[in-house]
Amino acid sequence: MPERIDFWGIPHPWGPILVYALLGLATLILVVRFYQRARVWWQTGLPEKRWDHLPTRLGRLVKYAILQVRVLGQRYPGIMHAALAWSFFVLFLGTAFATINGHFITFLQGSSYLVYKLTLDVFSVVFLVGAGMAAYRRFVLRPARLTLQGKFTWSLVFLVFIVLNGLLIESLRLAIEKPAWALWSPAGWAIAQLWIASGASQGALYNWHLGVYTLHFVTVSAFFVTLPTGTLVHLLTAPLNVFFSKIDRPAGRLAALPETKEGEPIYADRLAHLSWKQILDSEACTECGRCQEVCPAYASNKQLSPKQLVVDIREKLHEEWATAKSKPTEPAPLVNGQIREADVWSCTTCGACDQECPVLVEHVDTLVDLRRSLVIEGRMDARLQDALAGLSRYGNSFGQSERNRAKWSQALPTKIKDARKEPVEYLWFVGDYASYNPAITEITRQAAQVFQSAGLDFGILYEAERNAGNDARRAGEEGLFEYLVEKNSAALAKCDFQAIFTTDPHTFNTLKNEYPGDVLAGRPVLHYTEVLERLIARGQLRFERALDAVVTYHDPCYLGRYNGVYAAPRRVLAALGCRLVEMPRHGAHAFCCGAGGGRIWMEEGEMQERPSENRIREAAALGSVSTLVVACPKDVAMFRDALKTTSLEGRLVVKDLVELVHEALEPVAVASPEGLTENGGKDG
Amino acid sequence: MKILVPIQLVPDLVEELVIAQDGKRLDLDATRWIISEFDDHAIEQAILLKEKIGGEVTVIAPDFEGTEDVLYQALAKGADQVVKLSGDFQSELNTHALARLVVHYLQTKSERPDLILTGVQANSSLDGSLGPLLAAYLDLPFVDCVAQTEIEDQKITVRKEYPGGLTADWSVALPVVLGIQAANTPPRYVPISKMRLAMKTGSIATEEVGELDLSGAVDSTRMYTPEADQRAQMIDGDVDQVAEKLVALFKELGVL
Repeated sequence: MPERIDFWGIPHPWGPILVYALLGLATLILVVRFYQRARVWWQTGLPEKRWDHLPTRLGRLVKYAILQVRVLGQRYPGIMHAALAWSFFVLFLGTAFATINGHFITFLQGSSYLVYKLTLDVFSVVFLVGAGMAAYRRFVLRPARLTLQGKFTWSLVFLVFIVLNGLLIESLRLAIEKPAWALWSPAGWAIAQLWIASGASQGALYNWHLGVYTLHFVTVSAFFVTLPTGTLVHLLTAPLNVFFSKIDRPAGRLAALPETKEGEPIYADRLAHLSWKQILDSEACTECGRCQEVCPAYASNKQLSPKQLVVDIREKLHEEWATAKSKPTEPAPLVNGQIREADVWSCTTCGACDQECPVLVEHVDTLVDLRRSLVIEGRMDARLQDALAGLSRYGNSFGQSERNRAKWSQALPTKIKDARKEPVEYLWFVGDYASYNPAITEITRQAAQVFQSAGLDFGILYEAERNAGNDARRAGEEGLFEYLVEKNSAALAKCDFQAIFTTDPHTFNTLKNEYPGDVLAGRPVLHYTEVLERLIARGQLRFERALDAVVTYHDPCYLGRYNGVYAAPRRVLAALGCRLVEMPRHGAHAFCCGAGGGRIWMEEGEMQERPSENRIREAAALGSVSTLVVACPKDVAMFRDALKTTSLEGRLVVKDLVELVHEALEPVAVASPEGLTENGGKDG
Repeated sequence: MKILVPIQLVPDLVEELVIAQDGKRLDLDATRWIISEFDDHAIEQAILLKEKIGGEVTVIAPDFEGTEDVLYQALAKGADQVVKLSGDFQSELNTHALARLVVHYLQTKSERPDLILTGVQANSSLDGSLGPLLAAYLDLPFVDCVAQTEIEDQKITVRKEYPGGLTADWSVALPVVLGIQAANTPPRYVPISKMRLAMKTGSIATEEVGELDLSGAVDSTRMYTPEADQRAQMIDGDVDQVAEKLVALFKELGVL
């Protein structure tokens, strides 16, 4: 009967003793060295509670660390990594099973042994295929996002060496034993044919077997010893990072500032003012560069790379501990030490990096923490300073009087209800850009007319509305955010309404995710695209004509990626009779316009290609599409500018979704130089 | 070193200005107040000097609507003391009267400041700017239009800009009054949390002022918004025709 023979060909009794002693010692060293690395995290960083919700955390561990769904999100690297990682699990389990079989319960005999052998053999080959793909990627494809350093190559060589040795051992044993079930180890048996053909004596093959066996266990021990310091440490840190990933808040809610025991705010001006989890983030990073590949700041100026930000934190950590040998007493600043100030400001907080990261690194949270540490020192560019000063004095970033906030509505034939004076079903939170930007107020008026014609019972806050604070918060001005929340909360508390809807996705995000629960008291926060969808579904909005246009739609980051509103605007487009052609990057993978996180207020800095230009070219490349539809007032501003700077004005028009709705309410086509029907009719 | 920064609030031009019923002045009840931009620079320059060589910065302002916010903001920036001149003068204060109030305040103190920094001008001043008046009342030297200020060993070097692209560095002995046009670096941003901390922990000293002496000011006869004029006249034609018409026009106007 086929069965597993422990320590086949190994001299007893000292052979097994040496193997166990060696591996035991290596494991001990691994544990001690990993502990030495890990203790730095909590000894350096601030405390943060990440032990709650255990079932959810274990679920994430299975999903992201074992099944690796994020890694598998990309085909080539996904298959490559799965081939390596899953084979690694299987081979590791195989060794564990062998130990259990040898010392505790004997189960590897008969058919179970054959299946066992076949499985290990197959996964050895799968591993080598994965390694081949990795080598091809690293040396031939060479994607720009990857860190092409020797240390990664050596890890790969190391693992391949171990697996090949395993196969060699097996093949030598098979060449000597020639068992009837040898075909159950197809790869080993194939290699064994070489030894058989060579005509080497049994004694020579025994010696070879013993030699390779010894080498195998020495390299496995070396693997254990070097694991806590090499690039493969992510085998340990990535699952930990996934396990401790944030659970208690939605992606669209930033954490408040950490505080000392005395209640003093702590700003992330140095490593010790990051939380232990933020430091673990840096230790879990595998430098795969997926964050960098999707980053609009990186695409536009090649400066900020979310990957580099995380790596910089890690390098700083190791540097400080290397020089201090214990917790450093006089730490150097984080920003303008390792990390450049300009890079911190170039982030749009679009969240694409967080979404891409296979090991759930939380880049945006750390980045905003760094900004907070700059803002509290008054360090920012002049334009941002003006915008923030305007927000604190007038409640808007335009530096205009709050008394003019609803001036846009004066030209409407029908007055909008004042939600401060009478009850309304829907309270429309209009937002700064829709209220003050002269190029956009016409769209705001059209939106009002659409809602009025649908018979929606709605009102606005008039002068009482303030900027909701989403972008002030993401620019790092936490105190200003709190101040704006107080002002708006006080205004909202005096109004009688059933639901809020917003024009701006940024406003939508903060009202929905960050405003205190008692302000809304369970009342829903909607985006206007969701209101339009409802009105259409209920039959309150009836279109006079179908638009019959071919359009593409840009998902705003704070509507889509942060809050999952993808369907509503698309359903409205369908109801309008538009044919939607998606851009390659759409839905959760939509590319940011570049305006978010307060970027729209800041000096632009050096740009090779603005994110909005990058995006508009993507839309223009869709041959049949004549209109880029957006659902955010800032997008209208960004993309209409980008049309001019890319000279694509004749090719595309940028329209807010509500402009299309307004157009479809007119019984006849409105003649306009950039009207939809002329272009759309041609293509649609 | 003791630095005094007398500041004033001026109408915030984001709001439309309203002219009072008598047609001679602004309707101050309809006016929103903001720190004069140049005074903001004067505060910044004072803080910069203090950060460099130490000392004590006092900011003093008449009590208008919004003065307290401005003073708390000065505290948040690093001022050591802020003083509010309290009285009912929102509707009638002029620069001469303000200068005398500041001088009176100084007379009640045992120590005189080494340096008085104030904005080069304020957009609401009809009777000249504060700096020269203070210098005259206190009998101190005065440099105006200062765009940069350096200090070393009780000696101040200021950079003054002149028309025609000329700049000059002046070395001035203390004490002195400076009319600040620009601080060395633009006024800093005060994060709201620092502002709130200042409001919670800082305090504003209040000085009651007595009867106002408004003498020395100018009397306005009429205040009005710019009136549209029709005097621009386009002259068409080629060069010769235009020249001919111009000559005729000049003759008609009596300049030729």
